Amino acid sequence: MDIGLLVPQSGVYAPIGEDMEQGFRLCLDQAEGQLGGRDVNVVVADEGESPDTGVPAAQGLLEDGVSAVVGVVSSAVALGVQDAFTEAQVPLVVANAGANAITGPDVSDFVWRSSHRIEDVSGSIGAYVAEQVGEGSVFVIAPDYAAGREHAAAFRKTFEGAGGTVAGEVFTPFGQTENFQPFLSQIEQSGASAVYAFFGGSEAVSFARQYNSFGLSQNLPLFAAGFVTEGGELEALGQDAEGIQNVLHYSPQLDTPENQKFVEAYTAAYEEPPTVYSVQAYDACQSLDQALEVGTSGPEIVEGLEGIDTIPSPAGEWSYTDTHQASYTYYLREVQMQDGQPVNAIIRPLTEQ
Amino acid sequence: MFGFFSSNLITVVDGIAFGVLLFTIALGLSLVFGVMDVLSLAHGSLYLIGSYIAVSVSTAFTPTLGFFVLALVLAVALGSLAGAGLSFLTRPLASRGHLDQALLTLGVAFVVGDLLAQQYGREVRTVAPPSPFDGSVSVFGSTYPTYRLVIIAVGLALAIAAYLVIERTKMGALVQATVADAQMVRALGVNTGRLMTGVFAVGAALAAFGGVLGAPILNAAPGLDNRVLILGLVVVVIGGLGSVAGAFVGALVIGQVQTLGVSLAPSYAAFLTFGAMALVLLLRPAGILGKGRLA
Amino acid sequence: MTSDLGTSSRTDQAARPDTGPARGRAGRAPRLVLAAALLLALVAVPFVVPSDAANLLSRILAFALLAVSLDLLVGVGGMPSLGHAAPFGVGAYVAGITAKELTALAPVQLVAAAVAGAVFSALVGWLIVRVRGTYFLMLTLAVAELARTAADQWDQVTGGSNGLVGIPAIQVVPGGGPLLLAGFRYWYVLAVAALGFGLIVAISRSAFGRSLRGIRDNEDRMASLGYSTFRVKFTAFVLAGAFAGAAGSLWTVQSRFVSPADLGFNVSAMALLAVVIGGRGRLWGAILGAALVIFIRDEVGAQLGGRGPLLLGITFIAVVYLLPRGFAGLRLHRPGRKDPA
Repeated sequence: MDIGLLVPQSGVYAPIGEDMEQGFRLCLDQAEGQLGGRDVNVVVADEGESPDTGVPAAQGLLEDGVSAVVGVVSSAVALGVQDAFTEAQVPLVVANAGANAITGPDVSDFVWRSSHRIEDVSGSIGAYVAEQVGEGSVFVIAPDYAAGREHAAAFRKTFEGAGGTVAGEVFTPFGQTENFQPFLSQIEQSGASAVYAFFGGSEAVSFARQYNSFGLSQNLPLFAAGFVTEGGELEALGQDAEGIQNVLHYSPQLDTPENQKFVEAYTAAYEEPPTVYSVQAYDACQSLDQALEVGTSGPEIVEGLEGIDTIPSPAGEWSYTDTHQASYTYYLREVQMQDGQPVNAIIRPLTEQ
Repeated sequence: MFGFFSSNLITVVDGIAFGVLLFTIALGLSLVFGVMDVLSLAHGSLYLIGSYIAVSVSTAFTPTLGFFVLALVLAVALGSLAGAGLSFLTRPLASRGHLDQALLTLGVAFVVGDLLAQQYGREVRTVAPPSPFDGSVSVFGSTYPTYRLVIIAVGLALAIAAYLVIERTKMGALVQATVADAQMVRALGVNTGRLMTGVFAVGAALAAFGGVLGAPILNAAPGLDNRVLILGLVVVVIGGLGSVAGAFVGALVIGQVQTLGVSLAPSYAAFLTFGAMALVLLLRPAGILGKGRLA
Repeated sequence: MTSDLGTSSRTDQAARPDTGPARGRAGRAPRLVLAAALLLALVAVPFVVPSDAANLLSRILAFALLAVSLDLLVGVGGMPSLGHAAPFGVGAYVAGITAKELTALAPVQLVAAAVAGAVFSALVGWLIVRVRGTYFLMLTLAVAELARTAADQWDQVTGGSNGLVGIPAIQVVPGGGPLLLAGFRYWYVLAVAALGFGLIVAISRSAFGRSLRGIRDNEDRMASLGYSTFRVKFTAFVLAGAFAGAAGSLWTVQSRFVSPADLGFNVSAMALLAVVIGGRGRLWGAILGAALVIFIRDEVGAQLGGRGPLLLGITFIAVVYLLPRGFAGLRLHRPGRKDPA
C-alpha cells in the first residue's frame, strides 16, 4: 500500500518539510513499517514553495494511485487540492497548513487536519496578552498574505474581546521584507505598550533580531505566534529570542512521560530536537495507523478516521472535532536559555482540550 | 512639515544604509551589462556566496573586526574568481543576444543555489555584526544599530572609490569607452577580452563583498539570491544601465522607496518598488541617468 | 549546417524563422504530414496510457500555448517579455471566476479568458511597446509583478494568496456532463491548444507577421517605409496576450485552481526559457521547450527530493551550449536544399 507524503523539499519551506518527514518516518519506524497492520510504502513528492509546484505534485500523487496523502505546508496548496482529493476519494491528512477554511463548516469527508488551525493559535493568546498589558495597547504586525491576516484577525478577536486596545496594525510585504526598520519606527510612534507578531522563516529571524537592535525589546514586550521562535528560526535567533512569549501547541520541553519518550527517540534518530512540525506529521501517521485498521479504500480510511477516539500525541492527547480538526491544547511558551541554547519553556496551558 | 521630517529622519538614514548596500550589487550588474552586454542573472548568487562566507567565518571564529575583514577579503577573492569564470562561460555567447545569456546565467544561479543549500542547509543562518559595532547608538533621538552606520560609511567610500576609478584612471576611461561603443574600442586595438574579464571579476567581487557586508542585517538563506537579484535589476534599470552614477542614484532611490516609502504608505508597500520602476521607465525609458541607449 | 541567419551582425536575433513566403510548397508538405501524425498520436494518448500522463500532457499543452504565444512576441516580434505570466494569470482568474459564478461551459470560459488577456495587454501594452530591448524586458517584469501583487491583495475577487478554489469541472456542450475524467479533459485541452497553435502560425505567416518580422529586424527601416510600427507591435502584443489568456483558461481547466503564483516571475521566466530552449521564432520549438520545462519541473523534479532546480539549471546550461539555436536547430537535414538567406 502506498501513502503519499507531500512536503516541501525545495524552496523556503524545505526545513519544515524535513521536520515533517522525520516525524512521519519516526512513527512509521516505531510501527515497524506497518500502519493498521499493513505494510506501507511511502511515496514522497516535493511540494515546493507555492501552488504552482505544490498542486501538480499533489495531482501526481493521486495519479500514482496512493491510498492517502499526508503533509502540505502551504494553505494555498491544501485549499487548491481539496476538491481533487474529494473527487478521487482519497483522504488527505493536512499536517501543517493552517488556513481556517481547510477545516471549516463545509469540510470535505476526505480532508482531515492533524495540525494547528490559525484561529486556535493566535486566538488562544489574546486574553492573556490583554491581561498583561492592562490599560496599555498592543500593535499587531504580520506578513501581508492570507495566513498573516488570519493570525492578526484571530489575535484581535480574542484580545479585543477581553477588553484589549489595539494601537495599530500593519502588514508587511510577504516574502520581500528583510528590513523592518520602517515598520519598527511606526510601532514606536504608535504609543503601543506591547507588540503581537506572526512571521515565519527568514522574516521571523530578521524581525526578531531587528526588534532587538532597534531597541524596541527594552520597552515593548514582544508576544508572538510560536512559529516565530520554532525550529530553525529559534536556532538562528539564539539569544535574540530570549524572553519572547509565544503560543503554540507543543514544545520538546513539555514535561510528560509520553513526550520525554518521543523526544528521546526523535533525538536518537535525527540528532536534533523535534519541532511542532515533526509532531503534527507524527500525529498524522498515528491517525492513519488507527484508520487503516478499518480498510484501505478511501471511504474505509475515512470511516476509520471518523472512528478515532483519541490520538496519543507527544503534545498531549487530542481528538478530531466534527470538522476533522485536531483539538490540541495550546500553551504559553517563553524562550529561555538552557546551557547556552534557546528553548521554549512551557509556562502554562492557555486552552483546555 | 518639520514634524514630518523629524519623525522620519531616522527612516531616511536607514534608507541610505539600505541604498548603499544595494549599490554594491547594482554596480557590478550595471558595469557587466554596459561593458559586456550581458544581463547576468547569476549576480544574486554571488551576493549569497558572500553572505555564506560571512556565515562560515563567523561560525568558525569569534565575531571580531579582524575576522570580519577576513571574510570580506575571502569574498573579494572568491568573488573575482567566480566573476572571471562567469565571463569565460558567457564569452562564447557574445553574439547570441541577451536571452541566451539569461538562460545560461539563470542555469548557473539555479545550480549555485542548490549547491549552497546542500552545503549550508535550508535554514536561515545569521551573522553577528563585528564586535565593536554590535551595539546601538542614539541617532536623532532614536535607537539605531551602529552596524548600519558602518554600512553607510563603507558603502559611501566604495561609491567614491568607484567614481574615482571610472572617472580618473585610464582603466576607467577604457571601461567608459567600451560602454559607449565596444566595437570602436576593439578597433583601436584594445584587448577587450581582458577588459571584460576584469570588469566581470570586479563586479562579482563587489557583489560578494556586499554579501558579507549585508549578512549581519539580511541574514543568509536560500532564496535571498533571487530577491537581491531582482532588487539589483530594478536599481540598474531605474538608474540607467552601464552607468556608475546611475547605479548609485538608482540604489539610493530604491533604498528610500523601501524605507521612507513603506513608512509613508504601508498599505501600498508591496506595490512600491515595482511601481517606482514602472514609473521611471515610462517617464525616462533609459533610466534617470541613462544616455538613451534603448535597444 | 546550412544557415538562414543571413549576415546580420545584430545580436538579438540569432534564431531567424524560416516561415516566410520564400519557403516552397514542396518543403512544407512533409512537415504537414509530420504535424498530422503527431496530432493523431496525441489524440490517441488517453487510449494508450493511464490518466496521469493525460494530466501531465494537459499541463504541457496549456503551457505550450503560453510559450508559443510568447514566441509570437519574442521570436517573431523581437519583444522579449519577462511578464507574459500576467495575461496568462489574468486569463486563468477570469476563466476560474466565470466557471464559479457564471457557467461551467468551457468555451465560454475560454472566450472570456482570451478577451481578458487581450484587454489587459491592450491596457498595459499601450505604454509598454514604446520601449525596446532590455527595458522592454524589465518593464514587462514590473507590470507582471504589480499584477501579481494586485492578485494577492484583491482577495474578495481572487481569494488572495490562498488562491481561487472551488472551480467546478468543465462542460463542453450545454447540458453535457462535467468532464471529470482526465482523458476527456485532455482532449478538450488538446483541441483548443491545437487550434491556438494553428492560429498563431497563420498569424505569423500572414502579411501582418511579415511586417512584424520586418520591424524586429529593422524597425527604423520599416518606419521609413511608412509602416506604423507602433500599431503593428501593439497589435502583436494584444494578440499574444489573448492567446496567453486562452492558455490560462486551459491551465484552469486542468488544475481547477488559480493562485497569484500563476502570474509570478517563475511562470514568466519558465515560459521565456521554453521559447529560448525551443529556438526563437520557430513556433513549434517552443512547444518542445515547454514540454521539457514542465516535464523536468513537475514530473522529474518532484521525485528528486528537492534537487529539481539543480536539474533544471544543468538543463539550461546544457541547452545553451549544445543546442545553440534551440530544438529548432535540430532540423532534419534535407540535402540539396538551401534555405533562403
